[in-house]
Amino acid sequence: MRSSLGDGVLAAPSAEAGARALERLRRVAADPRAELRRIKERTGLMAVGYFDTYLPPELIAAHGVLPFRVPTNGHDDTRAMEYIQGFACPASRNVLDQALRGDLDMLDGALFTRYCDSLRGVFAVWDSEKLTPYVDFVRYPTVTHTQAAVDYLAEELQEVSWRMAGALGAPIDEHRLREAIDAGNRARALLAEFARQRAARELAVPGADALAVLIAFTTMLPDEFTQALAALMAQPPAGEPGDAVPVVLSGVTFDNIDLARTFEDTGLYLIADDLSTGSRLYTVQVGDGDPWQALARAYLTKPPCSVKEPSAARADHLLAQVGASGAAGVVFYLTRFCDTEQVEWPFLRDRLAAEGIPVVLIEGEHRAAGLEQVRTRLEAFREQLEALAEVDDGEGQDGGSE
Amino acid sequence: MRLEATNRLKGLIKGYYDELFAVAEEGRPSAWLNVGMPCEIFYAMDIFPFYPENYGAACGAMKLTPKLSAVAEARGFSADLCSYVRATLGSVFSGEGPYGALPHPTIQVDSMNSCTMIMIWWRAVEREWGVPTFLLDTPLVRETSDGINLVYVETEVRRMVAWAEEKTGRSLDLDRLRQVVALSNEGKALWAEVLDLRRAHPCPITAADIFTHMFPMVALRGTPQYVEHLRALRDEVKQRVDDGFAAVPGERYRLLWDNLPPWFDLRLFDDLAARGANFVIDTYTQAWGPRYMGPVDLEHPLRSFAAYMGAGFLNVQIGKRYALLAELVDAYDVDGVVFHSDRSCKPFSLVEVELRRLLQKRKGIPGLILEGDHNDPNLFDRERGMGQLESFLELLDAREQVPG
Ligand code: SF4
Ligand code: SF4
Repeated sequence: MRSSLGDGVLAAPSAEAGARALERLRRVAADPRAELRRIKERTGLMAVGYFDTYLPPELIAAHGVLPFRVPTNGHDDTRAMEYIQGFACPASRNVLDQALRGDLDMLDGALFTRYCDSLRGVFAVWDSEKLTPYVDFVRYPTVTHTQAAVDYLAEELQEVSWRMAGALGAPIDEHRLREAIDAGNRARALLAEFARQRAARELAVPGADALAVLIAFTTMLPDEFTQALAALMAQPPAGEPGDAVPVVLSGVTFDNIDLARTFEDTGLYLIADDLSTGSRLYTVQVGDGDPWQALARAYLTKPPCSVKEPSAARADHLLAQVGASGAAGVVFYLTRFCDTEQVEWPFLRDRLAAEGIPVVLIEGEHRAAGLEQVRTRLEAFREQLEALAEVDDGEGQDGGSE
Repeated sequence: MRLEATNRLKGLIKGYYDELFAVAEEGRPSAWLNVGMPCEIFYAMDIFPFYPENYGAACGAMKLTPKLSAVAEARGFSADLCSYVRATLGSVFSGEGPYGALPHPTIQVDSMNSCTMIMIWWRAVEREWGVPTFLLDTPLVRETSDGINLVYVETEVRRMVAWAEEKTGRSLDLDRLRQVVALSNEGKALWAEVLDLRRAHPCPITAADIFTHMFPMVALRGTPQYVEHLRALRDEVKQRVDDGFAAVPGERYRLLWDNLPPWFDLRLFDDLAARGANFVIDTYTQAWGPRYMGPVDLEHPLRSFAAYMGAGFLNVQIGKRYALLAELVDAYDVDGVVFHSDRSCKPFSLVEVELRRLLQKRKGIPGLILEGDHNDPNLFDRERGMGQLESFLELLDAREQVPG
């Protein structure tokens, strides 16, 4: 059977193509689950869900199976609460809730890694209740800097692959693995370029739309995604952030578009990100050579999330985003009960303070409802940033006149 | 009635802390370890091991958590974080605590076989005090560490030893390690016996008795005083069994406690004893028991440590947790399970709701989810908790009366 993965060809952009592409990406992001159902229907392929950014989707695609990162859906999680305590983080409860309600019944399987202790709890329930016909677990390293970790992960990915092949009756094809890696690389490289152009003000795309692009990235077939994004970038719909104040959004997973819109409604412009589903993911480029080694190395050495071996690299990456975009400040979105981020936060805050970069902490539940207080805080933050900018300008003028 | 061995614990703890301060004063090396790290390796290297989690429990028992936590929270550490972290970091930042300011260790080593957040906790201390820190990887497994996983964890153990040698100037002599391990094995066998003696009807000790004895199990494994203490404990508990002694007179309910205890409120167990309820077994102390920490192979001690670290109690998943519960329920003739839903400890707690469901469905054993925390009294509503426990005992009564 000819695979539908990795065969796309980039089409030349045409007028209006940009607006159409943006519409398409927005539609996908508005209901990624529905899009996955459509892709399944169209391609006849199976789908396996995953939850975190250390799981290489290439591992799934190499089996001729659709990888799908399960995004949160902003709904309440009353079903999940029957299976897991309320101090599991709201993002993890939400994906569990979707599975329990049958919203993910198009998934033929689910792959977990050791990401955080909340998702680990979700895996326990998922595994025990067999919420998808196939459930597996990657015994993932936390240490990221050793060759031993790379070698081990390369072997572990292969072991998982053999099990997946058996469970789904979908044998691995090394050629397809390489194709999936190449397609993934193309999509990520274009995303990185998209982010660069936004940061350089060459492309005026609101943060909410940029987020839609990221969600589409983990939903669509890689080359179809690349094609749509290329079309958007070639013919961007006219748009100006106006006098909105540019900020970098930092956190882990952030995939609620309404929430992003709420943030931007306060006069902030989410110009760049330091998210596990954003820049910390699309900076990955998988190298040549043995594909398993290359995958293991690329995913272990990407800009780290707080769930991996602690280092200054996370803060460095955040600062690089601020530097490249000239953002006036940082919005740190802390998911309630996300303990690794809770411990990371004071260090990021201090590092930003040392660099003179203002930051505001917003704690939340991945929902857009009841955000009055958040709105007020963000408006105050924007005013603070504007005031700082005026002082800077003033100083600049004074300096110039002397 | 209090165990004689419990009375002797005080001296043991004092001796340990005196040594901690003496080591620092004399400039001898010391290491902060998480409980998943075997202290035997460090005793063998003459590096004094110290366990912040154990110390955190001491802060909790002395009711210092709220005060110390406030210090950590003022620095920006969330009040939702594990109460061990908050208490210990509070102590690190303020220099206060049950024994005054703690001496700085020479090195820190933490392994990934408990929770994810622990590595950042260690890094917080590293950043505060500038202590070199090593993270030992133990990828989370389903049930056991074998194949490539075991090879990897053993590589990690060896990497850590080489690093510790370099940082402290001490070297690991395998013969010395074997001597320490022999003592450790002896003590662990005695611990296993004590746990097993709890199967007796009536049960000879209470949950508070056994939890109190976690200190030597965590911090003294491999030392002569550890074996001596464990032997005395085993003898005393055995004597009680021979005498038919009931730790809870008129023992009526045989319960299982899942998760860490509330260190600040071990009286809870006495209050329940007054109702005829004894926790004849628990899952927490099993983490140091033969199912998770069996004897270390003297021929290949490092591989053996790797095997049990790689499949440590919190490094395995729900299948194994359920199998343990099911086994304990049968072996200890348990009527019901109290799942302490410990707000602090996600890896321990977040499987409990499902475990309760499975146990009820497969074995007909009822369970209660009791909300609380192992170290922060502000997260435990005692009145409400006692009410829930009372109702649970009533439920067990009702079951007893139903014929069949
Ligand atoms: S937000 Fe934090 S706790 Fe929640 S799933 Fe993501 S990493 Fe885990
Ligand atoms: S969360 Fe649990 S495993 Fe982690 S430090 Fe706290 S008590 Fe220990």
